[in-house]
Amino acid sequence: MTGKPTRWRALFETQWKWTRSVLLLISLTTFAIPLLSLRSSVGARDESLFISSMQTWAVAYAFAAAGVGLLTAMLAWAYDHRLRHVYALSLPIERWRYALMRFTAGITLIALPIATLLVGAEIVAHSALVPKTLHSYPIALTLRFTFAALVAYSVFFAISSATARTAGYILAAIGLMFALNIVLRAAGSRIDLPGYLTDLFLAAPGLLAVFGGRWMLVDV
Amino acid sequence: MPFAIETRDLHFRPGGGFEISNLSMHVPTGSLYGFLGPNGAGKTTTIRLLLGLTPKQRGTITVLGRSMPSDYVEVMARTGYVPERPHLYPTLSVDETLRLHSAFHTRWDDTWANELKRQFGLIGDRRVASLSKGETGKLMMLLALAQQPELLVLDEPTDGLDPVVRRDVLEALLAYVSSHAATVLISSHLVHELERICDWIAVMDRGRMVAELPMQEFKDGIKRLVIADAARALGETPFTVLARKQGSGGGEQWLVRGWTNGMREYFVSTGGTLREVIDLDLEEGFVELLRSFRGAA
Repeated sequence: MTGKPTRWRALFETQWKWTRSVLLLISLTTFAIPLLSLRSSVGARDESLFISSMQTWAVAYAFAAAGVGLLTAMLAWAYDHRLRHVYALSLPIERWRYALMRFTAGITLIALPIATLLVGAEIVAHSALVPKTLHSYPIALTLRFTFAALVAYSVFFAISSATARTAGYILAAIGLMFALNIVLRAAGSRIDLPGYLTDLFLAAPGLLAVFGGRWMLVDV
Repeated sequence: MPFAIETRDLHFRPGGGFEISNLSMHVPTGSLYGFLGPNGAGKTTTIRLLLGLTPKQRGTITVLGRSMPSDYVEVMARTGYVPERPHLYPTLSVDETLRLHSAFHTRWDDTWANELKRQFGLIGDRRVASLSKGETGKLMMLLALAQQPELLVLDEPTDGLDPVVRRDVLEALLAYVSSHAATVLISSHLVHELERICDWIAVMDRGRMVAELPMQEFKDGIKRLVIADAARALGETPFTVLARKQGSGGGEQWLVRGWTNGMREYFVSTGGTLREVIDLDLEEGFVELLRSFRGAA
């Protein structure tokens, strides 16, 4: 054993160990998405077809951002849950501080796929294969990805940190909403509860609005 | 007498019919306090309450002079805890576990941790998940000791370990206690183990404290008396009769608590005949104490 790390670093090291395989896989993916999108668009006859071909990859960025947030958050708590939090609770540290350290360690880990996305996007931006009449937005795309990944991470971190009972309440509430919707529809109502909630969260200024919109690396 | 742990009217009802009720506990500072009780008596729950791992519903808990659970950060910094079940991250190696634990304990002794690791035969790059039960027990004890605590709370630390590992673990514990004058609360249902090392004993059953006293007093005070003419001897006894059993020839065997040799006079004064005073070991005393408690309940 060498040296005594800071508490944050010690927790970061545990999270790195739990997350690294998944994180490396996602980092490779975020590096590859811009390159693959370029490759599939290169043969386009004109700029509009080039753009629309690039746009078909937009959903991949959103999924990657949601995936990195979800997996990093879940893995931050997975072993504590498995051990019923006994080790964490027996440490001489305030519980809120422990959670904050786990949270910030996860944010630091998310920097890796963000960095590889930026590298991949910059390679595309500086490639001679992008038509001269179009512009590349590697920084804007990376910022959007960063924001989306952080939103996803925060939401899933909060859910993952809750007890199984709380998760059960959330699932029960969702189930109840769908059941209520079916009853309302059967009664002839035109209320669409799932649709309303989807709009509430996904349309601006909803919490998850960042996942909608244009995820364009190359645009006019 | 100063107490490292003190509870008053502690109450906790987790459901399922079980409850810890009006629990008063006094662990003298510097003592090796054995916490005995059958499985399901509430020992683990009590320990979890003491350390703030489970929130109490009523009563007061003072650990190392601090109120629990509000002062748990200060208390846990001075307390080594070995839980009943392994609580370490299975994917970390032994060395990574030590590194993680050391980060949270300011009094962590790296040199001694390495010495204990060598003494316990733990290999640094082995994953916790691949350790045997005995090795995991040793690692948990190592973590608790190397943080140099003033109080050690050990919940069945040797349960399921083979005799060799058990001896290693207890030797390391006793060496630490003798050099650091630490207080130890050790819960177990292995009566002989506690008899060998503890100087205080508490017996818990069904969520209640049945007895709490110095070990010697417990062992000296619980006797089996063989009495002839037992009917004459019944009355205001200076000791507590826990159980009576018919013996041969009209005699009886009494299990008594609070016995001292001077009490032989009582039989002379009542006309009863005390034939024999039999010493009980801790296990017999423990079993009889539980029987009488359950009978009374």
